[in-house]
Amino acid sequence: MNEVELRLPPDVAYVGIARLVVTAAARRHGLDDARAEDLKIAVSEATTNAILAHQRVEEEQPIVLAFGPEAGQFQVLIRDTGPGFEPPPPDDPDTRDWTQEGGLGVTVIRGLADEVMFVRERGTCVDMKFSVELDNHDGASDGNGSPDGDGSPAGSAFPRGDSSG
Amino acid sequence: MELSLNHYTQGTRTVLEVGGEVDVYTAPKLREQLVELVSDGHHDIIVDMTKVEFLDSTGLGVLVGGLKRVRSHDGSLALVCDQERILKIFRITGLTKVFPIHDSLSEALQDGE
Repeated sequence: MNEVELRLPPDVAYVGIARLVVTAAARRHGLDDARAEDLKIAVSEATTNAILAHQRVEEEQPIVLAFGPEAGQFQVLIRDTGPGFEPPPPDDPDTRDWTQEGGLGVTVIRGLADEVMFVRERGTCVDMKFSVELDNHDGASDGNGSPDGDGSPAGSAFPRGDSSG
Repeated sequence: MELSLNHYTQGTRTVLEVGGEVDVYTAPKLREQLVELVSDGHHDIIVDMTKVEFLDSTGLGVLVGGLKRVRSHDGSLALVCDQERILKIFRITGLTKVFPIHDSLSEALQDGE
């Protein structure tokens, strides 16, 4: 994986930078325009969640994005060291409780990425993959992703222990 | 691109033109504008998103909040959006069943007359 790492302060002003940088890299690696737009939204969602997770516990460490091509896909890992969370089960829009204003981010990520895993570590790591060769794929996926054998993100893509402290 | 907001009255409806990017950084301004409009008595609102460059779930949440506010006054909130990249997240989240969404402002204005 031709990996790039981006470390961002836990400040919502940086969410726009995250999505611009990752989307530019994905286009360079062959993601088409429509899917690059989907990626942009998914990155915005996961980065927002990571930054807000740090803010909730007054964690000043940066959040970390790692991204690059991986086996015919473009992979994005977004890691925070917040309190971690259990992703809600996929919800049914027909029975959704619309009295709640938030909580749509995970639904959007699941709907846009070809594969996604929410991995609980020291915080949360969101592992998203977007296929570069789409063959008229419309991008809609109910994906909960296909967990790797060991249930963790590709180790080569995101070495552990790089931001402990 | 920053968020731009502009509103005007069209008959009995209030049109709120939103432009630029709506995310966690800019959405509070949109929320503030909707709260202000409703508290000033604008209860039938059309949010024109034709010039929106980017919108994520934070923006969706603000629109849901706006809908709840106008409904508490027996009002309405409709959307104008013709961009597939934005419509897609409305479909994914089921919000196409919650908001009236129109292709053009003229269509939105005709609806409900």
